[in-house]
Amino acid sequence: MLRFWGNKLLQYGLVLLITLVINFSLPRLMPGSPLELLAGEDVGRLTTEERQEVMSRHGLDQPVHKQFIIYLGQLGQGDLGYSYRQNRPVSTIIWERLPWTLLLTGSALVLSSIIGVIFGPLAAWRRGRFSDVGSMSLFIFLDSMPSFWLGMILVALFGARLRWFPVFGARTPFADYTGWAALVDVLHHLALPLLTLTLVTIAGLFLIIRYSTLETLGEQYITVARAKGLPERLIIFRHVLRNAMLPGITVFMLSLGYVVSGTTVIETVFAWPGLGRLMFEAVMQRDYPVLQATFMIVTVCVIIANFVADLLYPLADPRVRAEGGQ
Amino acid sequence: MSPKGMLKAIMKNKTGRIGIILLALIIFTAIFAPWLAPFDPYERVARPFQHPSASHLLGTNDIGQDIISEMIWGTRISLSIGIIAAAIAIILGTAIGILSGYYRRWLDTILMRFVDVVLVIPFLPLMILLAAYLGPQLTNIIIVIGILTWAGPARVIRSQVLSIRELGYVQAARSLGGTDFKIMVRHILPGVMPIALAQFIRAVSTVILIESSLAFLGLGDPTAKSWGTVLYYAQTRGAFLTGAWVWWVLPPGLLITFTVLAFALTGYTLEEILNPRLRSAGPHHRVFFDSEAMEKNRG
Repeated sequence: MLRFWGNKLLQYGLVLLITLVINFSLPRLMPGSPLELLAGEDVGRLTTEERQEVMSRHGLDQPVHKQFIIYLGQLGQGDLGYSYRQNRPVSTIIWERLPWTLLLTGSALVLSSIIGVIFGPLAAWRRGRFSDVGSMSLFIFLDSMPSFWLGMILVALFGARLRWFPVFGARTPFADYTGWAALVDVLHHLALPLLTLTLVTIAGLFLIIRYSTLETLGEQYITVARAKGLPERLIIFRHVLRNAMLPGITVFMLSLGYVVSGTTVIETVFAWPGLGRLMFEAVMQRDYPVLQATFMIVTVCVIIANFVADLLYPLADPRVRAEGGQ
Repeated sequence: MSPKGMLKAIMKNKTGRIGIILLALIIFTAIFAPWLAPFDPYERVARPFQHPSASHLLGTNDIGQDIISEMIWGTRISLSIGIIAAAIAIILGTAIGILSGYYRRWLDTILMRFVDVVLVIPFLPLMILLAAYLGPQLTNIIIVIGILTWAGPARVIRSQVLSIRELGYVQAARSLGGTDFKIMVRHILPGVMPIALAQFIRAVSTVILIESSLAFLGLGDPTAKSWGTVLYYAQTRGAFLTGAWVWWVLPPGLLITFTVLAFALTGYTLEEILNPRLRSAGPHHRVFFDSEAMEKNRG
């Protein structure tokens, strides 16, 4: 058990370290002015004193290892840098955006796992029949689509043509809704991006749960349960589903972290004010401090998600629990 | 198994047949793009925002370039990026997988630890970061995607090496005093080639999806327009909010989807043929059970 957590800690520590090293070294190694690569293109508009301030802030006049220590120290204090483009600290910008991404990704994950858990086993149960083959083909097709393109098509159909949903943003501009009206407004805006993200997330979950159900159905203890004369319903719920869900949980947790990062393109299509859209804006404006900080926060989210998966998995699978205890 | 034998076996499988036929169509279009495309996709050949007509089957874009010519030439760009970047990834993955599986012990521990670490790093954000710093040249994009997609294949190839290294002919070569390098190149490498080929085909589909995402975010090379780049311009000009989405947004996305599908179906079928154990779960049912590939696809 101790060894398991030691390994995991080492793994996540290394991921974090690599992220930090990438962020630290990219602006310093690239050809061009490190000042501009550290502070963004807008550094050109700064006065000499302000430039001097940027220099000393990053310790650019000091040896590299000292610079790295300065960098770590600033991060340790929750200082993610300063965006000269927006003229505010990067951490403020990130905290503004993070809840929107969590809302979108969180609801997409809940929705897609509910649907995957219901339809995956159903399809496996009806293996080879029309509904199974049909849903398989549909999900394989969905799995091959670029997610942003699916979003564009949905906007074109349900936003621009049918006008059922707003086409961009998370709130109606200048509407100043309060209370319930504000919530309804956000949900209305959430519908299309949520549908897109859910569709692309379901595909993987569905296919994996369907497959693991099929595998479980072939196990000997299922044959035994049948031979004992257990009612079919009991076999499904008590013996098949519990085991079939395990890979589903792994995939669910894995996607948790990285749905956060995968929303980049979908948020861009819908102008959803989350971290992904922020990353796109930062690329467009060459706002490097924001770009770096977003990458780091997303990585931290992924690490947290993986960690939660490690914690939860033994609860779902007694076998892992037993192994861990030995 | 010879390449010809593999092709035959794939064609026997229904899923594989669909994949191969689609592949043939795509490769044909990529090779004969100069003869198939009616116009130069980088030339302004008509008034902008034209609807489809006899002379411009998919109309024209915001600066008057012929969209169907963009699609046909885009096949060549998207496909070359996919193939070259996947080749880089598989060469790296095979080398690391062989070293890891052959030497085992501490080298294996270190390399596989590294694989675990690489798999956790959020993929698309890192690529966006690198592409933003490196600049949108075609070679940069190919290299960035290539060196960030080797980890999954490396793990698959390592597990194959673990079983090959115990086979009689490898043991014989070792007891005859063959050097490690010679054994790895002459005996292990040919053994993992088929699996590496299957991984390569699947990697192409992953790369094409990733490239389209990067291009869509404006990180594609403007002098080598891929399908993703076309979608980027369609997005920034708001084409999906007007009727133009039918001929400007729909075609590039469908082409990406079918290309990804073609490579994925072929790759999965080949994998099934090479590893019959996978078939026990039923015909083409294990097919999409691969969380690593899924992680990457979610770009």
